[in-house]
Amino acid sequence: MAEATVSVPLEVYRFQPGRDRVPRYQRYTVELTPHTPVLSALLRVRAEIDPTLSLRYSCRSAICGSCAMQINSKSRLACETPVGPEIERHGRIVVEPMANQPVVRDLVVNQKPFWDRYESIEPHLKPDPDHPMPVGRPTSMSPQEVERFHDTPRCIACASCYSACPAVGADPEFPGPMALAKLYRFVVDPRDGGHQDRLVRIQASGLWLCLRCHLCTDSCPKNVRPSERIRDLKEMAIAVQGATEAGSRHAVGFKENLKGAGLLNEMRLARATLGLGGFAGQLGQGIRLWRKKPEVARRPHPIEGMAELDQIYAALDKGDEK
Amino acid sequence: MKIAYYPGCVAQESGRELDLATRWVCQALGIELVGFPKFSCCGSGFVDEANEVLNVAINARNLALAEGAGLDLMTVCSTCQGMLQLANLRLKDPKVRTKVDGALVPLGISYRGSVKVKHLLRVLVEDIGLDAIRARVRRPLGGLKVGAFYGCHILRPSDEMAWESGEEPHAFEDLLAALGADPVLYRGRVMCCGFPVLFVRPQTANTIAGRQIADAKDHGADAMATPCPLCHISLDGYQNKAEHAVGRRLDMPIFHLPQLVGLAFGASPEELGLPRHLVPTGPAVAQIPPAPPA
Repeated sequence: MAEATVSVPLEVYRFQPGRDRVPRYQRYTVELTPHTPVLSALLRVRAEIDPTLSLRYSCRSAICGSCAMQINSKSRLACETPVGPEIERHGRIVVEPMANQPVVRDLVVNQKPFWDRYESIEPHLKPDPDHPMPVGRPTSMSPQEVERFHDTPRCIACASCYSACPAVGADPEFPGPMALAKLYRFVVDPRDGGHQDRLVRIQASGLWLCLRCHLCTDSCPKNVRPSERIRDLKEMAIAVQGATEAGSRHAVGFKENLKGAGLLNEMRLARATLGLGGFAGQLGQGIRLWRKKPEVARRPHPIEGMAELDQIYAALDKGDEK
Repeated sequence: MKIAYYPGCVAQESGRELDLATRWVCQALGIELVGFPKFSCCGSGFVDEANEVLNVAINARNLALAEGAGLDLMTVCSTCQGMLQLANLRLKDPKVRTKVDGALVPLGISYRGSVKVKHLLRVLVEDIGLDAIRARVRRPLGGLKVGAFYGCHILRPSDEMAWESGEEPHAFEDLLAALGADPVLYRGRVMCCGFPVLFVRPQTANTIAGRQIADAKDHGADAMATPCPLCHISLDGYQNKAEHAVGRRLDMPIFHLPQLVGLAFGASPEELGLPRHLVPTGPAVAQIPPAPPA
């Protein structure tokens, strides 16, 4: 017996820059089974109701990464997002183009900023002159070496993470989750000779702007987990070069900060991260906070058992920062 | 119920009002909070960036204290929640486990991994239950339009936090509705507050905070509420900077989650530390009708 259909209320973002003054949301209703992907719903609209609707897609099988868009505010591949659960949760399906990229028309965005950021990490193998790759036969890797890649080679460059990322939207210097996950993939590649240079370069080029909000990891259709690999890059960057940026100084400073009392000393951390000049610049805001919350200027009482914490640090934190 | 109470650094210092409100609400609901003067900071995500194994170890030490007392552990901060939960998960990796045990076992600390880490929000919604919350309400929030702001680490990565949807949660809104508030749905409720880069790239942090507040405001919110004191710093403590970054007045009162629960239970603003906020909460509190006579 055929599966019963449901009424699928779509509200689709429509906008043609240069012609339309502001975007509008157009409503369409199609009858489909709950398992039907949102992409098929949109193609049905285009085939039967409105041939002017623009969208980008290709394989319809979650391989090509072309059909990423915002579905009820989540950045997703339309080809693998079924309509049923969306209607159950929201009563409707709002479809919008990906965020953080300019709209070309309707659901199609200009991906140039995304690809520019990707190019910036030099996403290609840089042969290691000390360990030249064999010519005419494949290079082999041990299972342990392969394990270090995690799932980063699975990335299909759909840009869902880039669309979901609040740091990309607020700071042009941040390379974005996909570019950094790709960078990680080259950093751990035993055939790549750029390991150290790549880490030094990225430490000064936006690595520390990641907010670790994990929206990239939740939106990724391939479980690449960019936020976790960005964390790995941060620790590796500190290990090869020490803390050279405000972001790494903050992370290392926080770690050192706990040695005093086991609890955060807010004032001391601000000084460590900002430096004296930056700290002075924040004095006005500090005084504003202090008036309501005098504890910001107070040293916390040391926790009981501070000696235990000291010994944990002694065992696990060998001061590998340069 | 009885639970280990992990206040975290901020609630013990500049976010003291969160601790006040938490204790008030838990007393009203008969939740016995057991304190541990040996608890250290959770590392706040920053120690994790500098040294992952160290971060797991300091949190395994915290968790071992609760385990030793046979208690689950309650957090009042999305970031503490994320870090302690993460330690529970990372310890399942034998390589991490070996390194952590190597540091803890010589100190006589061994953590078996039995402690459940629960944020106050989850304790209220799941362990106490919305019916019991409703029954305790003395001063319903009178349809005050509140935008819940979750804070990332209580939700994501959602497969690891294993609770609500990472992008479409509803526990906080359910709680607000049980208190008589009118929860406002807006995209920014699951977004970042900008806190992690507040000292690293202030302009970016303030812009991100300003966008979420503006989003809540544009969806009709009279106030916002958060289960995370770090989000509270970004959204309340630095709202003046956020206004500057997004170029508009926001005037958005930001409540800590237990403060709204406390107000609905009949606590006074002073008992909940509301005068300590940077953005005055008075206008929002004034919208709540007085408690009906008992």
